[in-house]
Amino acid sequence: MAETQTAQIRALLGGGTSEDRVAATHFMVGAGFLVLGGALALLALLSIRFADLFPITYGRLEPMANLTLMFGFVVVSLVGGIYYVLPRLTGTRLWSADLAASGLLGISGLVVLGLLVIGFGFGSGRQPLGLPWWFHIPMLLLLTLPLIITVGTINRREEKRSFVTLWFVMGGVVWLPLLYLAYFVGDLPSLGAVAVEYSNVFLSAGFVTMFVFTVGTGLFYYTVVRELDVSLASRQLALVGFWSLGFAAAWWGAAQLIFGPAPAWVAGVAAALGLAFPIGTLANAANVSLTLEGSWGDLSEKPGVTAGIYGLYLAVAVATLAALAGFRSIASVTSLTAFWEAIEYAAIAGPGALLVAGVSFSALPRLIGREISSLKRARSFSRLTVIGSIGTLLFMSAAGILSGYSWIGGSNTAAYIDAGEGWAAGLGTSFETLMLVAIGFAFVTFAGQLAYAATIFGTVTTGKATTQEVLVTREPSDE
Amino acid sequence: MSLGNLAMSDLAAAAAALGLPEVLVQRSAEARAADTGASVDDLLAAWAGGAPAPAAVSAEPVVGDAPTEEPAAPEVVIEVPAQAPAEVPGEVPAQAPAEAPVAALASEERHGPYVPPVLVGSRDNPMTVLVGAVALFVLVALVGLVGPSLQAETPGALSTNLPYTQLAVDGQEIYGNLGCAACHTQMVRPVIADVGLGRVTLNDSNQILGTRRFGPDLSNVGSRVSATQLQATIEGQLNGHPKYTINPQDTSALVAYLSESVTVGEDG
Repeated sequence: MAETQTAQIRALLGGGTSEDRVAATHFMVGAGFLVLGGALALLALLSIRFADLFPITYGRLEPMANLTLMFGFVVVSLVGGIYYVLPRLTGTRLWSADLAASGLLGISGLVVLGLLVIGFGFGSGRQPLGLPWWFHIPMLLLLTLPLIITVGTINRREEKRSFVTLWFVMGGVVWLPLLYLAYFVGDLPSLGAVAVEYSNVFLSAGFVTMFVFTVGTGLFYYTVVRELDVSLASRQLALVGFWSLGFAAAWWGAAQLIFGPAPAWVAGVAAALGLAFPIGTLANAANVSLTLEGSWGDLSEKPGVTAGIYGLYLAVAVATLAALAGFRSIASVTSLTAFWEAIEYAAIAGPGALLVAGVSFSALPRLIGREISSLKRARSFSRLTVIGSIGTLLFMSAAGILSGYSWIGGSNTAAYIDAGEGWAAGLGTSFETLMLVAIGFAFVTFAGQLAYAATIFGTVTTGKATTQEVLVTREPSDE
Repeated sequence: MSLGNLAMSDLAAAAAALGLPEVLVQRSAEARAADTGASVDDLLAAWAGGAPAPAAVSAEPVVGDAPTEEPAAPEVVIEVPAQAPAEVPGEVPAQAPAEAPVAALASEERHGPYVPPVLVGSRDNPMTVLVGAVALFVLVALVGLVGPSLQAETPGALSTNLPYTQLAVDGQEIYGNLGCAACHTQMVRPVIADVGLGRVTLNDSNQILGTRRFGPDLSNVGSRVSATQLQATIEGQLNGHPKYTINPQDTSALVAYLSESVTVGEDG
């Protein structure tokens, strides 16, 4: 029975090499988690506005959504993309396809287990994941596997010249376990409350800049030149984009706690690094735009390239907002508000999902020998995701700014003290209305996420047969 | 080589045949010529006539400035017709073919004049990125994590390390488990917006700071709200707070934690 099922899965996945099957499976599992995580994120947003609507409150729904989207969807999908490009860029087989498959099984299982742990109230409540300390050990080990496999593969590479994608991949797989280790350190009993909070925001910020945008952009560089058979415009711009994204992680996290209990010099030093975020995303977006010069007309049949381009531009918008909020004058209004919730939501649901699609829509047909099942659906994913995430970003950040100003106004007029715990009443219905509109756009984003999953699963099950890339081992060169 | 030196008709014809802009065909021809030793004109003429382009074999690395760069490792990637051109997915053979027959098939039935892209440029070692990435992470962690966590110099400031009872410490754990910090901060900042919330939070705080304030700040809630009101709020009877169904012991502990969260007394 088990053998039959394995054979059926192999048949669906095109019967390619083991690493290609593993990569394709990563995309499928990631798509499933996107739907689950998207639904949880939607419920979390709804629970802000309608607190009593669900048996589980925002305090648990949000970390459940974060866990599913960050590790179930983004990590799994982008690691699948890494396993797709590594053999193609190094000229050798993946170091261990079995280990890669085990890693997928392990991290998927951990995400499901984590959802149960948080849902039933055994979590720690630490943002952004809310997992108990013992959970971090297997998670850390599993997050180290992509690093081991990447280093092992590159070590025995046949191709001695590296395309820029390899830098981004290498950076991402190194930074991901290190970020998680820093988060894990936050659970040490001797650590103070301030250090714990900074380790929380360090993970949530670093995950976006040092993994999602880094690996997503790197894989998209490969997609662009592979899909359109064009040359990359600038290796130097890619270099700027890569290292800038790494630097950016330092400030985004700290910016959320500006005016908090930290030494004053931190704001000054880290503010300079904050500019690295928009610089990095802009460099990558400009590089791809220059690469596409003369090829824009060919994009209509390339849903992966279109999604990735949207993702890069949207990343510039998110990065610009995050960098602006790092200035003290703006932070005095925006910090601790829904403004940051908007940025964190949009970073994963917008550019994150689009960059994942940038590689998966291109890779899957090549991996399994089937065309994208529906170009219309794939385009719908991109459009709905762009519209939904921009709308949510704008209206939720506006709600955050409104909150910030109301706190200032309430404080000046002593209304806060009078209102006591009922401070929200001072906002009237403005905040709630803005949040409602933001939630409406989140529904649009979720529709896009459904379209993504339908495209991935549709391609695997009903896509028309097309040419398939098959990895063929070659004799080691004498070089 | 400038565009003007090329046979324009060949370039245009090659661009039309390949379906690519002339500028890209030009760049590709130059890169291919540099790699194979053939002349650009010959390559363009070949491409214009629809003839298969010469195989891209790069036995020797090209040293010096890289005129163009494309994905590497062409030799391992061969496009072949799908092994099962079945229109019904269920008809795909269950057994994956061995690699050797696939390779043979690839060489015999390759679709069109596909020539894999060639990576042109000096050799490098991506493993050096590993060292740089670790170094960067250390720097970023120092600035974004360790630095902010250090003790701030606040001469004369009043401590925010509160003397919680054991019951309150248990309540703090429940506060964490329930995810209260997702909506409530316990952090008062020296800004206008936080005036009246209580004593400014210092680095020695033993509360759960939080980063979102969808509900009110709770660092000093014990001085504003009675234990009875706190319990009613937790049970969803006050202030539009969601209802939490927890056992009486946990409720007592949570109420104790919040009641003992007092940074400013009645004297202000």
